[in-house]
Amino acid sequence: MAAHGDRWRVSVAAGARSENADAVELKFGQVGIAQVRVRRNDAAALHAELERRVRAAPHLFERAAVVMDLSHLAKQPEDGEVDALLEAVRAAGMLPVGLAYGTSETDVLARRLGLPLIAKFRAQYERHAEPPRVESAASSNASSEQGPAPARHAEITTLKADAPVFAQHHTQPVRTGQQVYARGRDLIVVAPVANGAEVLADGNIHVYGALRGRVFAGALGDERARIYCSEFRAELVSIAGHYRVFEEIPAQYDGRSVQISLEGGKLKIANL
Amino acid sequence: MTEIIVVTSGKGGVGKTTTSASLATGLAKRGHKVAVIDFDVGLRNLDLIMGCERRVVYDFVNVIHNEATLKQALIRDKRLDNLYVLAASQTRDKDALTQEGVGRVLDELAADGFDFVICDSPAGIEKGAHLAMYFADRAVVVVNPEVSSVRDSDRILGLLASKTRHAERGDGPMKQHLLLTRYNPVRVEAGEMMSVKDVEEILGIPVLGVIPESEQVLAASNSGVPVIHDASSIAGQAYGDAVARLDGEEIELRFIDAPRKGFFKRMFGT
Repeated sequence: MAAHGDRWRVSVAAGARSENADAVELKFGQVGIAQVRVRRNDAAALHAELERRVRAAPHLFERAAVVMDLSHLAKQPEDGEVDALLEAVRAAGMLPVGLAYGTSETDVLARRLGLPLIAKFRAQYERHAEPPRVESAASSNASSEQGPAPARHAEITTLKADAPVFAQHHTQPVRTGQQVYARGRDLIVVAPVANGAEVLADGNIHVYGALRGRVFAGALGDERARIYCSEFRAELVSIAGHYRVFEEIPAQYDGRSVQISLEGGKLKIANL
Repeated sequence: MTEIIVVTSGKGGVGKTTTSASLATGLAKRGHKVAVIDFDVGLRNLDLIMGCERRVVYDFVNVIHNEATLKQALIRDKRLDNLYVLAASQTRDKDALTQEGVGRVLDELAADGFDFVICDSPAGIEKGAHLAMYFADRAVVVVNPEVSSVRDSDRILGLLASKTRHAERGDGPMKQHLLLTRYNPVRVEAGEMMSVKDVEEILGIPVLGVIPESEQVLAASNSGVPVIHDASSIAGQAYGDAVARLDGEEIELRFIDAPRKGFFKRMFGT
């Protein structure tokens, strides 16, 4: 099971105008929300793992609204089992607020539980056949790991939005000990990144300024991610988990503008 | 309008307290009403450097815990009557400080018509350091020209940009100044020490002053007279310049180049 953030769009159907229209205002917005992707029907394990995460990052996860994604289970759990899973999440300190869009069975389940069914909105990722799965490679307990049902894929295709996912901009210096993470998108830093600072992105990373810290592109495992910087002095670079530390920066790259890509599983640095 | 200035560094032993004492004294000499507060509860030093350790009756922690009034705890400097010291407690630890209490003391100082409040931060990034910077309007980051000090200062700059009232209010970047201490131009030229330019480039904030390494600093600290009073010392003059810049004047940096050997020295050696 994995708790990780995703972009969701919560849609509300606005009613027709009436004389009571001034009593309420329906607003549309986009929020980042964590998704609890349940991979095994094991409430105890779910509880233990989530509790560990909440304890590790209470600011991030305590009383955090989460969406339950049951589509990765081998089979749809029984009603009682779903209750146990939801209770496990609550007991760990998170608040389940809905179910992720899955199959028609999920829809029925959501109605029975009185929870909303939230449609997925991952234009960037699901355009390509399969999002990269770092978690599955990293965790050994993914025994019941199953690809998403083909039906689900078809549904998502129709839900895609054409709006581009804009890069995250960062204009302040990234200081020692600070971390900047662009979730599900590119990161553009227009300031220096200090020694001991970390910049991460699920997509590409651009640094216009001295890059002295650590840089992780393709943080979720996308091997197409690249790193661009105008003054290369990094301590560590990583693309999709392939990393290299620089105790000594080769003279031809030191302080120069470079591009780093992953080719055949190897990091390739080139002067720009 | 009271301006709260935190003197901070992250690393210990770089000269925060020496700097706090001299900046406060310098601003007072220019006619401002100044209070300087020691946030290093448990390891109080500021009163020693300011030469008022024998006059401490009540301290900062007493005021925060309503065991004394601010008036009782403020110690008037014996040389300048518009300069006051608020000493730290020696017997308590930093948990004795509370955000609410510190805020109340600063408000009271503002109501008393102080122009500047200098907050002398303890080393580290724990509670004392956090509270010293939290209410600040400006920051003076004290750095020695060596890598670990620069690294720690960068960390502090990150905290100043996120963990302060200024940042929480979304007032934009806080005014931050770099103050290099223990600067030795001869060793910089020999490549043994980082230069002003190196440090400025890494930290990316403007330089308020460069205080040359000088024996008079230690002598001044030991005698409880802030070095800025010693007009014959180059460190004292450099602090004077820094204070003037803090007060809005534009003065060129001095004492950053190694002294050129004169004709005779070149002819006959040193």
